[in-house]
Amino acid sequence: MYDFIIIGSGPSGGNLAYHLHQSGAKCLLLEAGKFFRKETFPRNEADTSAQLYWGGGIEFDAVARMAFLRAKVVGGTSIVNQCLLDRFDDIAWNDWKALSGVDFFESEKMKPYYDKVESALHLHTFTPEERNRNADLFSASCEKLDYKWHYLRKGQHDCAYEQGNDCIACLGGCHRNSKQSSLVGYVLKAEKEGLPVESEVMVERLDVNKERVRVFAIKNKRKTEYYCKKVILAGGSFGTTALLLKSGFKERLPALGKYFSAHPQFMTFGIYDEPVNSHKGYFQTVASKDPAFRAKGFKLENVFAPPISLGILFAGTGKRHQELMRNYTKMSCIEVAIRDEHVGEIAVDKKGKLNVKKPLTDHDKVKRDAGLEVIRNILSASGAKEIIQSPYYFGLHLMGGCAMGANASQSVVNPDYNVHDSKNIFIADSSIYPAAPGINPSLTVMALSQKLSEQLTQQKN
Amino acid sequence: MAQLSPRAKKTLIRLGDLMLPENGDFPAFSATGSIAHLDKLTDHAPESDISDLSLLLSILSFMPDFILKWLIHKMETAPQSDGALSTIFRQLDFGIRGLLYSCYYSGRMGENYTGKNPLDVIGYEIKRVE
Repeated sequence: MYDFIIIGSGPSGGNLAYHLHQSGAKCLLLEAGKFFRKETFPRNEADTSAQLYWGGGIEFDAVARMAFLRAKVVGGTSIVNQCLLDRFDDIAWNDWKALSGVDFFESEKMKPYYDKVESALHLHTFTPEERNRNADLFSASCEKLDYKWHYLRKGQHDCAYEQGNDCIACLGGCHRNSKQSSLVGYVLKAEKEGLPVESEVMVERLDVNKERVRVFAIKNKRKTEYYCKKVILAGGSFGTTALLLKSGFKERLPALGKYFSAHPQFMTFGIYDEPVNSHKGYFQTVASKDPAFRAKGFKLENVFAPPISLGILFAGTGKRHQELMRNYTKMSCIEVAIRDEHVGEIAVDKKGKLNVKKPLTDHDKVKRDAGLEVIRNILSASGAKEIIQSPYYFGLHLMGGCAMGANASQSVVNPDYNVHDSKNIFIADSSIYPAAPGINPSLTVMALSQKLSEQLTQQKN
Repeated sequence: MAQLSPRAKKTLIRLGDLMLPENGDFPAFSATGSIAHLDKLTDHAPESDISDLSLLLSILSFMPDFILKWLIHKMETAPQSDGALSTIFRQLDFGIRGLLYSCYYSGRMGENYTGKNPLDVIGYEIKRVE
């Protein structure tokens, strides 16, 4: 019997598996997705979408208005994101503390855990010479309009920028092990030290009693079972919540599945007469840092997308679509991500399929529209001859469903990371977020997991 | 291993030529032969989704082009529409465009195709320093 089975290998599961294995605990890391190495990540956008994401590329809310991008691969979301690592500010922590009653939700109390996570990873803050033209246009226009912006901080080691490497490719997994994903930061190191990692294992259900947890899973199309003293759920907002729902916890935990948020993102494109080549070099180096935007509940990111994703984001088909795509190299892009209200709900149907409700509230729409107006100002000021707003929106930051809180009727996980009344189930992934922070969630997931790993190690010793 | 039926693929190619026609140096979807690589993509999609799509495309195979054009119009206007039917059109929109664009802009063309690659037409090339 294992001391710990960790289900999910993203920023939370990777961190916990690494530290608990190092502490001498007998651990097993399970992951539903495939185990790719830097040499084996897909080299093509079509294969990336199909092979690294749930749903064969994309999932939707119940009315197919909002799309969700959720990684299914060893390393989880950290394989397909840009590894932008930001600490929460006092606004986010104070809001969380007020909402949840969790006393360590404070910048000062979380500082030691942020410090430890950051010291274990290679971090890089971008510099002026690393901007591509997309970032130049964004930053220059922000200056002109007196909007505050900043250079992003990314977890990366050696991106071969000077040799002309184009980082847009690492959205399909970093082929240099430069990006400080959970795979690079934790899983590969732990595997080297003997941690068993089983990939392509779909955990279906848990059976829990006081002495042990029985984990029912499908591997190679066959049913299999694992046993452990304690289980750590790290499948993210959808994965962790769905597993508890399928294991029959809803009756005991009325808040299970509630308070889902996703930082909905809305992309707008500018088209110019001259080449912009937004896909070249470091393709995401700057973002807004304006206190007024933060107060209004949105932030702007200077992003771009490879051709298939970009094509899907445009409305329309036929020649209009092709003429837009013909301008691929002459486009810049800015997205607004809003700090949405946590009114979403995650459920599963009788077949165990996810059913997610994620309406945009009136407040969300006000934030979106305020952000879109600023984007239009920036693109106009940068000389865009045409501005095109995508009618579609999506979420990459999936949060909530198993909110942490002191009150068992309004939360799923207590401040000791235990599922209420279940001493051998722990959760530290983004599903415990009580609300949207309005800041990239990844670093804080790792910091919260670091805290749990120390707590469990102390208990073990 | 989820795959569209041959009949469903034929309808997808017809839709492809309506949504990605020959246009200057852009080749028509069917001309690229990129549909040959479709199975590699659908293999990873949920079987129930592909099975539903396959059934619908098979039914649509009996419909004339004007019905397919009507369907494309409904899919294009679905983001602005409300109601249960609009949900289905939005799902179809993402499903069909997702498959077609994934083939067309994958860079992988059919064995006998000698024309321009859509990625070259749009000027997409990236350098990967291993």
